[in-house]
Amino acid sequence: MKKSPMDIQETWDSEKGEDNINPPILKLEKNQEDGRRNSDHNMSTTLLSKQSDLILPSKGLLQLFLTNLREVILGTKLVVLFPAIPLAILAHSYNLGRAWVFALSLLGLTPLAERVSFLTEQIAYYTGPTVGGLLNATCGNATELIIALLALRQKKIHVVKYSLLGSILSNLLLVLGSSLLCGGLANLKKEQRYDRKQADVSSSMLMLGLLCHMLPLMFAYGEKPSLYTLSVGATLQLSRACSIVMLLAYVAYLFFQLKTHRQLFEAQEEDEDDLGNEEKAVVGFWSAFTWLVGMTAIIALLSEYVVGTIEAASDSWGISVNFISIILLPIVGNAAEHAGSIIFAFKNKLDISLGVAMGSATQISMFVVPLCVIVAWIMHIPMDLDFSLLETGCLAFAILVTAFTLQDGTSHYMKGVALLLCYVTMGACFFVLRNPITNKTSDSLGVK
Amino acid sequence: MEKSPMDIQETWDSEKGEENINPPILKLEKRHEDGRPNSDHSMSTTLLRKQSDLILPSKGLLQLFLTNLHEVILGTKLVVLFPAIPLAILAHSYNLGRAWVFALSLLGLTPLAERISFLTEQIAYYTGPTVGGLLNATCGNATELIIALLALRQKKIHVVKYSLLGSILSNLLLVLGSSLLCGGLANLKKEQRYDRKQADVSSSMLMLGLLCHILPLMFAYGLKPSLYSLSVGATLQLSRACSIVMLLAYVAYLFFQLKTHRQLFEPQEEDDDDLGNEEKAVIGFWSAFTWLVGMTAIIALLSEYVVGTIEAASDSWGISVNFISIILLPIVGNAAEHAGSIIFAFKNKLDISLGVAMGSATQISMFVVPLCVIVAWMMHIPMDLDFSLLETGCLAFAILVTAFTLQDGTSHYMKGVALLLCYVTMGACFFVLRNPIINKTSDSLGVK
Repeated sequence: MKKSPMDIQETWDSEKGEDNINPPILKLEKNQEDGRRNSDHNMSTTLLSKQSDLILPSKGLLQLFLTNLREVILGTKLVVLFPAIPLAILAHSYNLGRAWVFALSLLGLTPLAERVSFLTEQIAYYTGPTVGGLLNATCGNATELIIALLALRQKKIHVVKYSLLGSILSNLLLVLGSSLLCGGLANLKKEQRYDRKQADVSSSMLMLGLLCHMLPLMFAYGEKPSLYTLSVGATLQLSRACSIVMLLAYVAYLFFQLKTHRQLFEAQEEDEDDLGNEEKAVVGFWSAFTWLVGMTAIIALLSEYVVGTIEAASDSWGISVNFISIILLPIVGNAAEHAGSIIFAFKNKLDISLGVAMGSATQISMFVVPLCVIVAWIMHIPMDLDFSLLETGCLAFAILVTAFTLQDGTSHYMKGVALLLCYVTMGACFFVLRNPITNKTSDSLGVK
Repeated sequence: MEKSPMDIQETWDSEKGEENINPPILKLEKRHEDGRPNSDHSMSTTLLRKQSDLILPSKGLLQLFLTNLHEVILGTKLVVLFPAIPLAILAHSYNLGRAWVFALSLLGLTPLAERISFLTEQIAYYTGPTVGGLLNATCGNATELIIALLALRQKKIHVVKYSLLGSILSNLLLVLGSSLLCGGLANLKKEQRYDRKQADVSSSMLMLGLLCHILPLMFAYGLKPSLYSLSVGATLQLSRACSIVMLLAYVAYLFFQLKTHRQLFEPQEEDDDDLGNEEKAVIGFWSAFTWLVGMTAIIALLSEYVVGTIEAASDSWGISVNFISIILLPIVGNAAEHAGSIIFAFKNKLDISLGVAMGSATQISMFVVPLCVIVAWMMHIPMDLDFSLLETGCLAFAILVTAFTLQDGTSHYMKGVALLLCYVTMGACFFVLRNPIINKTSDSLGVK
């Protein structure tokens, strides 16, 4: 569903009081010669009446701010989790238990992650589909990216690796699995079809990413122990080369998705339109931008807390850091996508659910992970792509099982059950993998 | 294909002389109010005539027994192998060579395995399709289950693991491969099609099972040797958790197969009808039940011999226990399914062949294996899901290659050739894997 010029017009109108600088690009392309004011001429009366429904009689700055606040803050059902943000900051400044800071920050991140993608979509309405797609492609997993970069700054390489790995696993198995399960149960009698081409593109991207993780791993295992020290440098070089390849692949993927084969991903676009509330573009460009910056700052703050207190939380809860990074962090980070994906599966719009889950996994695997390696390179931190054996094995298995599941273009709930139970099994595996082993991995990963 | 009430009536009549206590359940549901003898009123003359064709002029108990004997014992072409049963018992009691006991027991098990599934189907005619499906789902691989449980009682964990693994391999590669090969050669000119959805469900179940085997294996390999002893407890916990997940998945699979998506598996049901001779329900419920109990007892006895003498046979033949458990035992246990599957492939009913092979593999992987782990848990035997590297690798490869082979909904003999040769390769691999390694594995598996 393309956005119609009318909708954009409407939003633009509601924006008029604030600033008139950035007219929507789509509009601009069509009426390049018209003055900005004149382009309103085709506004119909229905649109006018619709606008009067909004509670915007006087367009004062404060009023606008309040409306925006209402749209941005109250626009999500996760609003109940917002109080966790000030609580986390309070808990941090009054030196309450570090596990509490961790838990509250994690809760606070959930609605923020959802709102950031909401704001990105809002901005995308003004910038046109291509730039919007690019924005979504880079900021869609902003929370994961910020957490990873902050963990990198604190040289907790294992947290970086495991949280990103966990995010891929959670998207592929948990989000996709529960969507297929719910969709299958809700549409038992109907046929559930989707276009497998889109999923196939993501699968092949994920396979490429998997290769880039497996080669450094096999480097370490294929060498004789005496040569192991020699291979560390080579592993690092290989990882950096692989990261560049992955980024190139991601650029090609974006080109494919946004330019040449957009029709394959059309359904996904539609999804984003629907996700962004009923009205299109409910907040203006600059206010959305300001909100985005502000939220990013809060996310950074909370991520800092999360990364700083993860070991303390692990100790006080008796759960390994591995489990927290691989299972808990991604569930929180993906909560909003998860909910959206399930809702669309209920409506038997599996294309959208697939787009959300597979797209997000591809983005993390092919963009966030190599970006972290490159940033680490710039910061002279020896982060490589060698996740350890168990983690890489789980990744490989998740990708394989998802690719197989999506082979024929139909779905039923049993597919969801299989994926979900795979996730449960992996969760159980990381749960029983207790501290002695955790120390080992954090040693080997942190030091080398 | 539902059983018609006529058939049941007929059988019941032939049963009358024996006991009138339990009229068939299906029947009971329809005519609950009728007295038992009165319910015969609808019996048509055609049925009478048909019945008179049976050699049952007087319905004495002995006569009935003889007829049953005729149906149960002589109803299979494997009848030539029945004499092996008394010979095995004789050989055991007169302390003949233990290798002889092993060979004779193995031969004796072959027809018994076929007859058990025949009797299960007979009982299924009386209990309705759902209960019958459940019965088939639990007793379909009764021989494998009994052998595994007896080996468990003798704490031969490696025999349990390897015989079950071998059964999965043999179903996936040998049974399926030879079916596709024979079907392909017999129907060279025709198109051979099947519904891939059914195979897909089995594949995804097998993948989940594979994950449950891979994780404990990687546990052991991902750790430093010094920490290995610590991980044994964790591996055991993980295996037990995985087993519970597998059983849950199997319950979901049964629900899917018998309740919500029965149409996908319909051809398989038809198969069962066809397998059970031409007439439906040739023997009565209670006689089938009695026969089933008796046969199970004989199977248990022979299995006891097999498990007890496997090492002796291995020594005297110079073949490793691994090879006997992984290759020989399953070939014998699956002989009947194997024959049935090939016959249906000849008739170009590939759906049924697939259902037999994949269904049996799924059942062992998702039901028998976790059940053994749970039973071992109750018996305080530390059986885990960590089959060793080579075996798990073969399993992974077999599942992957089968899933790939069944991707498009068509078949030709080359697919069968590929699968069969995979099996031959694996057989060669386990054949050359001689004693030194066996000692090691039996140590590490038996002791820990």
